[in-house]
Order: sequence, then structure tokens, then C-alpha cells
Amino acid sequence: MTDPHIPTSPVDATTGNPPAVEMLDVWKRFPGVVANAGANLRVRRGSVHAVLGENGAGKSTLMNVLSGVYRPDEGEVRIDGTPHHFRTPAAALDAGVGMVHQEFRLVPSFTVAENVVLGACDRIVRRSAVESAVGALADRFGLATEPDRPVWQLSMGERQRVEILKALWRDARILVLDEPTAVLTPGEADELGAVLRHMADDGRTVVFISHKLHEVTGFCDEATVLRGGRTVAASLSVADTDATELASLMVGASPVVTERPPDREVGEVLLEVQDLRCPDDRGLAALDGLNLTVRSGEIVGIAGVAGNGQREMAQTIAGLRPVESGSVHLCGEDRTDATPRQRFADGLGYIPEDRIGVGLAPRLSVTDNAVLRTYGRHRRGPFLDAAGAIDHCRDLVDRFGVRTGPLDEPIAGLSGGNLQRLLVGRELVDGPRVVVAAQPTRGLDVQGVKAIQDLLVSEREAGAAVLLVSEDLDELLTLADRLLVMHAGRIVAEFDPTTAERHVIGEAMIGHSSSASPASGDQGSSR
Amino acid sequence: MSRPVLVRREQVLRGGQPLAFGIGLCVALLVGLVLLVGSGHDPLRVYGRMFEASLGDPRAWSVTLNRAVPLGLAGLAVAVAGSMGLWNIGAEGQIMAGAIGAAWIARIGGEWPSPVLITAMLAAAILGGGLLALGPAVARARIGVNEIITTLMLNEVAIRLVQWLVHGRWKDPGSHNFPLAPMLPDNARLPGLFERAHFGVVLAGVVIALFGVAASRTAWGYELRVAGSSGATARYAGISLERKVMTVLILSGGVAGFAGGIELSGAADRITEGLSNGFGFAGIIVAALALMRPSGVAAVALLFGAVQIGGQSIQTMGVSSSVSTILQALILFGAIAAGVLSRYRVEMVAGEATEATG
Repeated sequence: MTDPHIPTSPVDATTGNPPAVEMLDVWKRFPGVVANAGANLRVRRGSVHAVLGENGAGKSTLMNVLSGVYRPDEGEVRIDGTPHHFRTPAAALDAGVGMVHQEFRLVPSFTVAENVVLGACDRIVRRSAVESAVGALADRFGLATEPDRPVWQLSMGERQRVEILKALWRDARILVLDEPTAVLTPGEADELGAVLRHMADDGRTVVFISHKLHEVTGFCDEATVLRGGRTVAASLSVADTDATELASLMVGASPVVTERPPDREVGEVLLEVQDLRCPDDRGLAALDGLNLTVRSGEIVGIAGVAGNGQREMAQTIAGLRPVESGSVHLCGEDRTDATPRQRFADGLGYIPEDRIGVGLAPRLSVTDNAVLRTYGRHRRGPFLDAAGAIDHCRDLVDRFGVRTGPLDEPIAGLSGGNLQRLLVGRELVDGPRVVVAAQPTRGLDVQGVKAIQDLLVSEREAGAAVLLVSEDLDELLTLADRLLVMHAGRIVAEFDPTTAERHVIGEAMIGHSSSASPASGDQGSSR
Repeated sequence: MSRPVLVRREQVLRGGQPLAFGIGLCVALLVGLVLLVGSGHDPLRVYGRMFEASLGDPRAWSVTLNRAVPLGLAGLAVAVAGSMGLWNIGAEGQIMAGAIGAAWIARIGGEWPSPVLITAMLAAAILGGGLLALGPAVARARIGVNEIITTLMLNEVAIRLVQWLVHGRWKDPGSHNFPLAPMLPDNARLPGLFERAHFGVVLAGVVIALFGVAASRTAWGYELRVAGSSGATARYAGISLERKVMTVLILSGGVAGFAGGIELSGAADRITEGLSNGFGFAGIIVAALALMRPSGVAAVALLFGAVQIGGQSIQTMGVSSSVSTILQALILFGAIAAGVLSRYRVEMVAGEATEATG
């Protein structure tokens, strides 16, 4: 399974210890996706180690391999120099690896102490004894918490501390945190950083997943950067690097082949967003004065670090999220308050980020999903014309090359690429005037990516206005006619993809807007 | 070392549900055999009697069908809500509310021609059941109050309401001070069908069939399926979730109320505290076994009715009511357990437990 020439674990020069964590040439494939393609990770004992990468770079998969949730197809995991083959998270925990997942796994009606000891307490003990033991553990690591409070009363930051306590209670020496700061306010994130430092100083090892660069430079010792499932930079010393270098490592620097014909004619403005503001699910400002226009016959790309309002932007344009203020114009008409159905009728095709669960109904058949937008056309009085719906579906499946089983079977059997072909096909089959595509190629294999990209390009050729949100900068540079960078809920920079330099785009993405080239044309920063 | 695990089938076995019933029935009868022998009965005679009393002749069929009517309608009520992922645990109370509505019309319409009176009674029954579900429906649709809790608690309200009526305002002056409502007038009784069966069997069949067609063939049913599959997808498709939740819960209550009206007019002499008889709760099991599909509800209700009638009949042979109840439960357990096997298959795996991963 492992290469014969993989070296034995190198010993730390100063302490004489083998690395706390070593992952060698890890491969993990899912149907249609290669999540890890030879990833490597080496973490020094007693350090805080950042694993960096864009969404889809394979960070979470690699951490799930480390913590025993997934088994690698190939490669080796070594803890303190000893090879391990974890079959379960419990086995990983036995070896000292504890993971704090992005979604918390807590029982809301239980107290902090009960959650911490749940499943790790072999006999019945007095509540007060457990509470004081958990309290002592929390104090030792500076994790402010009240052991007798029920979890449902806690903030996200407090809940996260409970998750960390769970791992510490089980005596995890290696703590893996999957994007821990995604749910935290900036103040809470700083506190977490201090706690993690404290643990490292205590001799524990922390593996910290993030794509926020200032956190990495703030309290991590070393960083490993993943891109496309591979390690592109291993164990960089944070002291010897800076945010700019890390950003360019994350987004990559491969040459981009543009498929853009020269001197394209663009037409009238079909999508116009003015000073749009809306809160996110937590009530914080997600869009903070967003302005953009997309014209007929162009693809406008939106780049940005995840969580800067891209999701909310797509949802508000599609009519799935109420706006606080501002307006959305489709084909020249104010459609700020129109329903999703009205917007579809206006010619808006929307490819949502969440394919299953938003764009497609999971338990329904291929046909039911194919007519989701247009079932009104197959009505005969109160009845649905089943034969008409099946004809429509067959047409869609043929035209967009969706490989399916029987059309009346649930879509659950389709691969990721075919699901996306079905969804994109359904949105494009009527020839929409405006297309909003959110992460349309994320997680697809090479063929699937190409198919979806070709469809978007042909929509542009047909005169549609295409707004493409993607975390893959290569994709944006390949497809987009204009590239807008989004940060903190607004457009902070505009680039010409044929001339833009990656590191400059990367800086704009992390909010260093001073170094970004000024927006050109009729729009850009709202400032 | 190897051990069995359940593995989800790629697709549900075609015809798996009827097959499951068959298997469940056989296993339950085998386990029941032990129970009966242990309690000193001849199992073959007991089983023979159960079959004869429930499905042995037209008269037995008529009794079983009458029992299947409230079970099927209550099951339909639960299934209508369940197809959208909502749980109406209040069919028991809604049956009572429907019976109150129907009994009230019967009190004021004693002189009306029978078809008019019965139609009015059944309409009032639907309204009564729907009304009881109105509060939970609005609370769920508007502010997301859990409908399981609200519908469950309203059961108590409806049953107490019937008690209050029969102990007070509706107490029959001629009942020698027993808490009994007066007998229904003859023109408020549903006509007979054959033997003991009443016309409610036909009405229930028609209503279940109507819902079956509505669920599978209409745009309304399609929207329901989408909303039941994923709320976010429904919003994306332009379906108003709020309105769907509201109409579906009220409709569910109306169907249960209809069951109460039919039960009162077809099977009962008068409205009593015991009229709902657990049908509303049994309806939850019926709907679950029918996988929330109207088409399955009728078949499951018939089986359920036969088990209940058969189980009751053997008590006259000296089988204690607890043994009879255990037998009934065994058969249903068997059917539920076997139902799992139509969706999962058993595989032997080597070694220790493995976590299921996405």
C-alpha cells in the first residue's frame, strides 16, 4: 500500500521526538470526485498547525481521515511515529486524536457537563462530582464555561468550547478543529486562538483548518497548504511567510488558457443590483451595499473567500432571501419583491450552491425533479399530465447528456455530475436571459466540470447575462469576461481576467483592497 | 468474527410491503404459538377461530370492514400530513370533534329527510375535525410551533368536551340520570350495506381513493411531494410552504373528523366518551405501515381491523384479553419488522463495528 521509499519518520532535532502526526501520500476518492490525491501532512508535537486551502481543496477529507471518520484508499497515518489504521473515530481517539467538527454534535437539552462526559463515563456518578471535574478541566485550559448550564442556552462560541472539552475529557493529545472560526465572532475567534496556544504550550498538538489568513499568521506556528487534494506547501514556518504568499499558494499560479474570443460585443444590462443589503442567518450583515451589473453576452465572475456574502447574494437575486434595502432589476424591470416563480418566468435561471435539498428534491424521481420549475405547464385542470412530464424529462435528459436509470426512480441513484447536469439543464432548457450560477462545478470530476462550463459559455454566446460565483479562481479566470472580488458583503475590486495577476486578486480577496487595482468601468466598490 | 448488519437497499423491493406483511404474519403466528401453548390453549383452534371470526364468512367480513373504516380514515388523516413530513398525533381528538359536530346536527335535524341529515352531519364532522386542527395548523405554519405537541394535547380537550356534553347539556332526560346522550334518531343512521356492514365502508373507500388519486396525479399532490421532500426545494420551486402546511394539517383534521361522523352515524347508537376507541392512535401505526401512501392505507386498515376483530373473538374461548392483545401486537410487530427488510438487507460483515459515513 505504501511506497517502499517513504522515509521513516524524521525526528525533531530539538526534542528527539517523532512528529505527532504524519500523513503520507493519502488518497481518498468518492464517486466522481478525488478529494485527496496524494496529500501529505507533518505536524510537530506541541505546535499549532494550520491546514489551509480553498473550499474543495480536500482539507476536511484529510482531517476526517486523520480522525478515523474516513478510511484512506491509499497512504499512511502515523501518530507519534507509529502507523495506525483507524476504523472508527473511537479508535482514533484511543490513539489520542480528537476532532471538533464544523457542525457541533451536542445534545441541546443536556448540560455542559453531561455533554462532555456523554459516552465517556462507564459508571453512574454524582452530578456535582462530574460538574466540578469538568469545571476543573475547563479552568486548566482557560475555557470559560458553566458546567451546569444546558447547552441550548449557549452561544456558538460556548458550544464550541464544550466540543473542545469533550475531546480533552477523552484525553486527546492531538486536537483537530475543522474550520472552528467559521461560526465565531471575531472576538470569540481571538479567544479561541489564545486557548489553542495555551494547549500547545501544555504539550498538546493542535491541527487547525482555516481559510482565514490572518488567523493563521496570528496564532499558528506552521502551515500546510492544500490545493486540488494535494499538498502544495508542507509545514511552512509561519514566521518565515506572510499572508500574501499563503494566499497565492492557496489559489495557485498555473497558467490560464482563456477561451474568450477577442473583442466581444456585450449588450444591454440584464441584471442590475443596487446597494443591496441583507442579514445572514445569524442576523449579521451579509450584504452591505452590493452593486453590480451583468450585461447580455458576458460572464461576470465573483471571487472571494467563502462567507463574504456570495451565498446571500445569489439567494437574494433568486428571490429566496428577503432584502433589507436596495434593489434587483431583471431585464430592466424592478423585481426586488418578485417571487422565485415570477423571476423564473422573467427568464432567470438559478443554479443554487446546494444541489440536493434546494435545487433538487432528494426523494423524488428524475421526472418530478425535471419539471420542478415548469410543472404548471403540464397541468390539465387539477391534474398533472404525467406523459407530458415524462416527455419533457426525456428531452431534457437527452439534450444535456444526463445518465440516469428509469426516469420514475428517485434521483438518489445519480452521480454528482449527472445530478448537476439535470439541474443545470432544467434551468437552461428554456433559454434564460439571466443565469446565476453558484459554485456550479464544485465537487465534480473533470468531465463534469467541463460539461457545466461549456453550458455556461454557450449561454453567454446565446446572449444571456451570466453571473458566476466560484471558489475556483482558475475557473473564474478561464470563463469570466469581468472578475469582481467580493469581501465583507460588497464588491471591493474589479479585474480584467486576461491581465490580472493572481497575487493581486488574492490580496483583494482577503480585504487588502488598497493593493487591488481600482475598479474600472461603470461599477465596482460602493465606496 | 462476523456479525450481521443492516444495509440499505439501493431501492425498496418491489412489492416488498405486501411480502413483508406475509413474513411478519408467519413469524408472529409462530411466536404466538408458544404463547398459546404456554397458557394452555390449542393454538390451531385459536388461530382457526381468529380467522373465522374476522374473514371466515360474509358476516365476519362485514364486521371487519366496519372496524377497518375508522382505522383507514384515521390512517389516511395521519398519512396526508405525513406525506409532507408533518405528524398529526391528534386524530383521536379530531374523531371526537367530528362526532360532536355530527351529533349536534343530529340533535337539531331530527325531522329532516335522512339523506339531507346524514350529509349535513358528515359535513359538520369534517368541519369539527378541521376546526380542532386549525390552531395547530396556524401555529405551525406561522411561527413553527411543533404540531406533534399541539395536536396531541388537543386530544385531551376534545375528549373532555365530549364528557362535559354527555354529563351535562346533552344528557338524556330519560337515561335515569346515567351520563348518556340520547340515542340517534333513525334518520341519522347510515344505511346498511350487507350483513352488519354499513354504508360508511363505501364512503371511506371513496375518500381514500380520492386522496390516492390526488396525491399521485394532481399538481396539488406533486407540490405536496416536493414540500415533503425538502422545504427549501419547495420555496425554490415557488410553492408556498406556509399555505401548504396549513391546508394539509386542516385537511388531515377534517379527514379524522369525517371518521368520527361515520363512526357515530354508522356504528354507534349515540355519542359516548369511548367513541374514538383509540382509532386515532391506531391510525398512526396504519399510516406508518402504509409508508404514508393513501393506496396502502386501505390494505393496512383491513389487516388491522381483521386482527382486532379476530383477537376479540377468541376471548369468548377463554383466552384472556391480555393474551389476545399480545397476539394482536405480535402480528403488527412482525409486519413492522419485516417492513424494514424491504428497505434494508442483512449482510454478514467481518470484524468490529464500522461507522457509517457520508
